[in-house]
Amino acid sequence: MSAPTHDPLTLSLSVNGETHDVRVPARKLLSDVLRDDLGLTGTHVGCEHGVCGACTVLIDGRPARACLTFAAQMEGHEVTTVEAMGRPDALSALQQALHEEHGLQCGFCTPGIVVTFEHYLRENPDPTAEEVRNVLSGNLCRCTGYQNIVAAVLKAAARMRGEAA
Amino acid sequence: MSGDFTEIGRALPRKEDRRLVSGRGRYLDDLAFPGALHVSFVRSPHAHARILGIDSAEAAEMPGVVGIFTGRDLDQMTTRLRLAPPIEGLQPTELTTLPIDKVRFHGDPVVCVVATDRYLAEDAAECVSVEYEQLTAVTSITEAFAPDAALVDDSLTSNMVSHQSLCVGDPAARRAEAHRVVEARFSLHRHTHVPLETRGCVADWDDGRAHLNMHIGNQVPHPLRSQLAARLGLSESQVTVMSPDVGGAFGQKIALYREELTVAALSRHLRRPVRWREDRMENLMSAAHAREYECRTRASVSETGRILGLELEIDEDFGGYCFYPANYMARVIALIMTGPYRIQDYAYEVRVALTNKCGAGPMRAPMAITSWVMEGTIDAIARDLGLDPVEVRRINALGPEDLPYKMPTGELLEDVSPRETLEIAVDAIDVADFRARQAQARAEGRYLGLGLCTVIESTTYGSEFYKSAGIPGSGHESAWVRIEPSGAVNASVGLMGTGQGYESPLSQAVAEGLGVRSEDVTVHMGNTDIAPYGMGSRGGRGATAGGGTLYLCALKARERVLAIAASMLDLNDAGGLRLRAGQIERMIGEDWQEAGLSLTDIARRAYHEPLALPEGIAPGLDFSHSYDPPAMTYSNSTHACEVEVDPQTGAISIDRYLVAEDSGTVLNPIVVRGQQQGAIAMGLSGALLEQVIYDGTGQNLSATLADYLVASPNELPEFEILHHNTPNRRTPAGIKGMAEGGVMGAIGVLANAVSDALAPRGVTIERLPLTPQSIRALLREAAPSSTKRTQP
Repeated sequence: MSAPTHDPLTLSLSVNGETHDVRVPARKLLSDVLRDDLGLTGTHVGCEHGVCGACTVLIDGRPARACLTFAAQMEGHEVTTVEAMGRPDALSALQQALHEEHGLQCGFCTPGIVVTFEHYLRENPDPTAEEVRNVLSGNLCRCTGYQNIVAAVLKAAARMRGEAA
Repeated sequence: MSGDFTEIGRALPRKEDRRLVSGRGRYLDDLAFPGALHVSFVRSPHAHARILGIDSAEAAEMPGVVGIFTGRDLDQMTTRLRLAPPIEGLQPTELTTLPIDKVRFHGDPVVCVVATDRYLAEDAAECVSVEYEQLTAVTSITEAFAPDAALVDDSLTSNMVSHQSLCVGDPAARRAEAHRVVEARFSLHRHTHVPLETRGCVADWDDGRAHLNMHIGNQVPHPLRSQLAARLGLSESQVTVMSPDVGGAFGQKIALYREELTVAALSRHLRRPVRWREDRMENLMSAAHAREYECRTRASVSETGRILGLELEIDEDFGGYCFYPANYMARVIALIMTGPYRIQDYAYEVRVALTNKCGAGPMRAPMAITSWVMEGTIDAIARDLGLDPVEVRRINALGPEDLPYKMPTGELLEDVSPRETLEIAVDAIDVADFRARQAQARAEGRYLGLGLCTVIESTTYGSEFYKSAGIPGSGHESAWVRIEPSGAVNASVGLMGTGQGYESPLSQAVAEGLGVRSEDVTVHMGNTDIAPYGMGSRGGRGATAGGGTLYLCALKARERVLAIAASMLDLNDAGGLRLRAGQIERMIGEDWQEAGLSLTDIARRAYHEPLALPEGIAPGLDFSHSYDPPAMTYSNSTHACEVEVDPQTGAISIDRYLVAEDSGTVLNPIVVRGQQQGAIAMGLSGALLEQVIYDGTGQNLSATLADYLVASPNELPEFEILHHNTPNRRTPAGIKGMAEGGVMGAIGVLANAVSDALAPRGVTIERLPLTPQSIRALLREAAPSSTKRTQP
């Protein structure tokens, strides 16, 4: 049996609206390329088997697990990471609500939750608490017990709809 | 709570949120080290086996491989871990950095592969072949204590690594005179911590300075530095431990693990930065496990349910290696078991077993089983005597007239309120209303249950506790507060937060003591060159030991600031002065009025006009302080929850959950509420779903998050939290500590609620977790109910 080859490929990746040319092995995970090669370390790797949701990014606007995706699959697609969704001095409505409602503790799962709900609230601007809980079930949080995250998402949704909250 | 505070008790959102919520946190694996090598460990596929040979020739030739190291190699670069505190009944243990002769659990690290890239290191690790001779695996406490059991640690005389007992009063006489003797059993299963960020480290040996920079997410940076230095043969001046943002720890990131020591040793050996990031399978198999206990109680009771005497047996499965003295966790359970109740005749026996499983360590609430055992015993008494469980609690609970109360083990309870929190919870849940609904539901064939669980939570752990337990080390904490020439306030303490959110509450402790706004204080943690030597974060000590020390240090700073202010205002002394929000105020008549001096003015004088300072006052504004808290501080709470159990599926739904909690002076209510919610969630998750599963040969069957289940938002309810805070009179600002009691209460209250729900089916919960499968099994085993009998 011949050994597998790990010779690098040259890829052109569109991430957060910028194009990056990288040379990486075909087997390299999108999460590792984002973090190691592009320095976008907001995408966290918590389990590498798709359960915890900390690595969630948007691929062509839809949530996906960066740890279950090869970077080589991303040519011709648009990847969006948490870094595009707000900065420490200019938080998004959702990030601001997570801060106000104490919707995070260690913060390791938080970028995945932000990415998931930045997408979800655009498609479902007026969710119920139960709907938020159902969507949130794809992201493990070990610290908060989820209650404050649900409150934050509902608060952000109200604000994004233009209601006082 | 004292109303005199201006900064302590403010509901300030957390300072760390902005970076964390926007993906700009800096966790271990986010740190870049050009040229760093990567490590992958070859782990044992067997639970118990002799290592006969290791063949790494093929792997050594693979692309990117820099070196391959075994236990024998590491033994040349490091010293062994010997644990031998002088504790009666504790066998001393010693372990090498990596195993040399035999492996002791499935996942034991055997070989370390170093390569230029993590992918290549993993490729090579797969090609290392290790020849083993399998040995009989010891996979349960019963097997461990069997007379012909294989020895897990060949150097010991038996697998009973620790055995302690105590008898206070005369429990045998109480048994003889009792109306009834009620026995109960409790089996808590093996858990693990599951921080979302797994373990990892980057060791960066600076060959020029002969200095190790160790980057590692850790709860106790200074004790870790001491251990690293000692095990590497370095001085503490040659090691800096730096902890960046940490993605959760829950007790898992305290010990110096063998993998981390290996990485540090290899960085020095190879004179390169070396890094390791644990994958999730490694974390679930081989980080640390916790909580596996079998407990039995025997309560001697009067006709009215008054407990006359209590006897307790605890057996713990400690796994294959001792990273902590093996008596350590079980001892606390036995010490505080009687908790909220008036019991003076008490005996315990604690036996700790070594088995061929991952080594055990503390996990958030290492004493988690305590409240379930005590409160499950109370419920057993009520069932046995046909009494109302609330009444049995009332007749035994400590009230204000009993305080201060010395438990039979000598532990002192003061400024606690177990009877008050019980009454608050009972009122809020409306027991009478629930019983009516329960009767109605039972008539319809539905199973509703109500659980109660009162918790006495040990927190802080001062030096006196460790000394009386025979464990080396200290429970004191150290802090510094520095007012810079501009008036900026920097402070530090030996704690290291791992997600709790220390930055705001600790700033509040400094701000309160000094007289500035919390927003203007920065607390620097997690770097052993910057922070003073402290004992770190564990055992609910962050607020009392950390916050308390900072508060006292800030008071010291304020005294100096006011002395300088007095001289600048040409006053004889500082008696009529105070600092508020960074401004000096002076008492004029009955009012505080601004004196026209700010902290900045005073700092400028202190640093730049030393000759103008009053006699005897040295230049600068730099203060340090150490503080040793009481042996133990106690918080308390009563949890109440309503459940419904579906007998067809075994599913449990939690319909209502509330807790009445007394956690003393609260530094920051937002952070405390988050800790309460998180602790309850961790307890419920553990009681409902989580379980480390080993098969009969010691194979770990739960090494992915698809097998080791952690609660999602769909399993957890909203938590109602009612406060009844009594300041502790013996601590700075009345702080007590909290954050672990929620785990204790959640486990107990859920088990009790499900027992209550299934009482008509003759089921009592003696074993966790309460998965649908386990509930269905209990219902199948139980005596058929009348309704079931009528069915075909």
